[in-house]
Amino acid sequence: MEKGLKLTDILVTIIIALIFGIIYKLWGPLYGVISTLGLHVEQLIYGMWFIAAVVAYLIIRKPGVALLAEVAAAQGEFIFGGEWGVATLIFGLGQGLAAELIFAAFRYQRFDMIVASLAGVASALASLGIDFYYGYIGDLALWNLLILFGTRIAGGILISGIFAHLLVKALEKTGVTNLVRPASQEDYKALG
Amino acid sequence: MSTVANVKNMRLKFPGVDSLLFKDFSLSLKKGEKVLILGPSGSGKSTLLQVLTGLIPHAVEVPMKTDEINIPDSWGYLFQDPDSQFCMPFVDEEIAFVLENLQIPKEEMNRYIHHYLHQVGLAFKNPHTKIQTLSGGMKQRLAIASVLALEPEVLFLDEPTAMLDSEGTKQVWETIKQVGEDKTVVIVEHKIEEVVDFVDRVVLLDEQGVIIADGSKDEVFASYKQVLLEHGIWYPGVWRDYLNSKPPSPSPSPVSINPSVHLSDFSVYRGKSVKLHIPQANAYPGDWVTIIGENGAGKSTLLLAMMNLLKTKGTCHFLGQDYKSIKNFADHVAFVFQNPEFQFVTNSVYEEAAYSLRLDHWTEEQISPRVNQLLKTYHLENHTHIHPYQLSIGQKRRLSVAASIIKEQSIILLDEPTFGQDAKNTFAILEQLEQLRRQGKTIIMVTHDRNIVEYFSTKVWSIHDGKLANDSSTGEYLESNNHVTGEISYVH
Amino acid sequence: MSIDFSYQETWLHKINPSLKLGFVFLLFIHLIMIHNTNILINYMFGTLILYLFFTGHPWKRLMIIFLPFLLIFLTSSTSMIFFGKGDVTWFKWGLIHITEESFFRGLHLGFRGIIFAIIGVVFALTTRPVYLFYSFMQQLKLKPKYAYSFMAAIRLIPLMIEEMQTLHYALKVRGVQSGKGIRGLYNKLKSYSIPLLSQSIRKAFRIAVAMEAKRFSNSGNRTYYYQINFSKVDLVFVFYLIAVFTLSYYMAVQYPYFPITDVRL
Repeated sequence: MEKGLKLTDILVTIIIALIFGIIYKLWGPLYGVISTLGLHVEQLIYGMWFIAAVVAYLIIRKPGVALLAEVAAAQGEFIFGGEWGVATLIFGLGQGLAAELIFAAFRYQRFDMIVASLAGVASALASLGIDFYYGYIGDLALWNLLILFGTRIAGGILISGIFAHLLVKALEKTGVTNLVRPASQEDYKALG
Repeated sequence: MSTVANVKNMRLKFPGVDSLLFKDFSLSLKKGEKVLILGPSGSGKSTLLQVLTGLIPHAVEVPMKTDEINIPDSWGYLFQDPDSQFCMPFVDEEIAFVLENLQIPKEEMNRYIHHYLHQVGLAFKNPHTKIQTLSGGMKQRLAIASVLALEPEVLFLDEPTAMLDSEGTKQVWETIKQVGEDKTVVIVEHKIEEVVDFVDRVVLLDEQGVIIADGSKDEVFASYKQVLLEHGIWYPGVWRDYLNSKPPSPSPSPVSINPSVHLSDFSVYRGKSVKLHIPQANAYPGDWVTIIGENGAGKSTLLLAMMNLLKTKGTCHFLGQDYKSIKNFADHVAFVFQNPEFQFVTNSVYEEAAYSLRLDHWTEEQISPRVNQLLKTYHLENHTHIHPYQLSIGQKRRLSVAASIIKEQSIILLDEPTFGQDAKNTFAILEQLEQLRRQGKTIIMVTHDRNIVEYFSTKVWSIHDGKLANDSSTGEYLESNNHVTGEISYVH
Repeated sequence: MSIDFSYQETWLHKINPSLKLGFVFLLFIHLIMIHNTNILINYMFGTLILYLFFTGHPWKRLMIIFLPFLLIFLTSSTSMIFFGKGDVTWFKWGLIHITEESFFRGLHLGFRGIIFAIIGVVFALTTRPVYLFYSFMQQLKLKPKYAYSFMAAIRLIPLMIEEMQTLHYALKVRGVQSGKGIRGLYNKLKSYSIPLLSQSIRKAFRIAVAMEAKRFSNSGNRTYYYQINFSKVDLVFVFYLIAVFTLSYYMAVQYPYFPITDVRL
């Protein structure tokens, strides 16, 4: 087998990423509207911005896919004129890297909801880390900062953990995932 | 003659599928041959082409092994779907992509681009044209041009016209015959009337991917006609054979005086401009209306507008009522989309058929017999628990029809329901629709197939340039258009 | 999206895309290090000029694109204004505590958000994706398999949007009701995303195979149909940015809008 990702893997990852890139772009105004409610309610939907990494990885199940997907989705959001401009690329890189590290920590062997949720948490933490420099969030009142942390992490688990996992489960039923996942040893053995 | 490609004792298995697709399969191709590979869907024809080109296993990982395999030194591959074989947005860029792969210097590219476009008969004032704006037939010819840029000795054609209308199909095969004259050509196709005089060897596969016949076309067509019919192959004269076996009974002209569908001064808008205008059109219970017209004339638009999905003005009455004020619209009018996958909303064949009934709060005892009976009629009873997406293309189409008409609506709108279907499925769908028509339902259907117009429809609405040009009975229509030949010519 | 809208080509379109992105990045890093709101506001005018007069897109489109920017201003600033730390209290009501420091810090974030948005959109409106990825391959040595995958995937997007319209009709015809609340939202997302993802994955897969059938390979050299080079326009762009930068500082010192020079304090 060829080393690294095949062209089919890359192209499929990127199309998934771009679909979410469009959603990322549309998510911007929605996030803006919700945030007018105050008290970081909008953070509950922030987790959508981590989903590309998790979904692409759960579909293709190969190393490198999560990082590529999140960077590509951010690049997509940027090309489509996302409201955060280049900042998106930095967030994408950080969030993708965080998710990738979680999947790597499980040696790319686990594809369940718990791992997906952990990736969501990791991405949330990465985005919060960047926000310390970017959004001065360290200067928020402590109680407010804690709400921000709590809601963003919860949103990460909810959307890019649980929802992403359910989405891929539903997609598996359609049979399309067989197209892109690596063949198993048993398949080769069955050739006799 | 020397062998250009061969495979010996191939075994191949798709991941997640229990059985082997090919078991100890051998085939060899001679230089200059024009080979047609026929077989039912699922017999692995496309897979075979991908193995013979080395795309499997190099580009697509599929477990396989062979005792011996030789792929041609230079080959080109034409795929089925015009929308999924280009990677660049513009015509010139797409051909340039191939030239780049071959490391042709930039300065020479424009000359080559013009050369290959000229070869396939595509003349653009400026080849920097968006691929999206081309018709299906032009897209496939562009695909041929980019294949020619590889200067291949062997051409592999994987149902290149399956998604094209008859006009596009003709253009594409004319082009292929021209450029393939001096090459080895391997063709997978189930609409074979256009290719049959081009090929000299036919290989016939069965469902398990076993070769059941391999020889000259005359031999194979003479001895295996029954098999071709069973496999749903569109061999020349399939319509004649079908009509001979089931002579169409003269369509009883509708008796009712009240039209079930009545359109007058009906306009469909896109934004502020009128996209389609219907001065007057009627359809009665027991009518089978075919809507015909060139690509982009507005046929699908008319159906969508009648479903109240677009902005319209004027009169559209169903069963005497204004369509916008009908309560429970879905109880009276059914709609079948061209791409079945988009209308599937559940996870199993059974649930898909039952969906509309559940929306109406039928009880399980009421649903079960109705759904089971319908699935049986549409030959889906053995697949009730699988996901609709996992069905074959013919089964998907049958399911989409079954799921749409389960409420026994009296008006049924269909957008090219036989498009891309093999002969067997086409006839099966047509017969089921004919049965519904005889029950007094009104069928309104977009189609490109003149045979359907001639042998099944009772009425023709022809649309030209965004306007209904003709609403007449099929007899009248055929009489006034008898100069039109085309697909039906070989029937007589 | 410069993908399917027509526009006039301007000098901004002719800038080398890698260089353009590089400077947009530098600008980003520089902006993060600016803590003086006065400079930031001047900077904003500098970028606004590019947006309003040099993207080559019609006014109406520019105005529509601009609307969400105002929202960005609000979302970037309000939390900090209401809940940020600070000593000089202006207003206190329940949890809300507006201080002079938090107010200016919030304002600063708002302006910064708007500048990022403007620069990002200027880039998006004036950069054709195909040139961007050719430039990435030629100037930044991006591997062709990634670059062409991006271009192929971007080509699929308009098709996908058409499919989404069809899907929308189909769901309506079948009478799909998603219900209310979280569950409803989940159902709705699912009923759109499953068919779209499934179709797109299949298409992407087929395109990848078709690309390999056209002898696309990652190994070996390739020639390029488009040679993306540097030109004088690049210099103009760089000088424009330097001018904006110097003027912003100068004006901020000479004619400040606010007396505060560092919002972190």
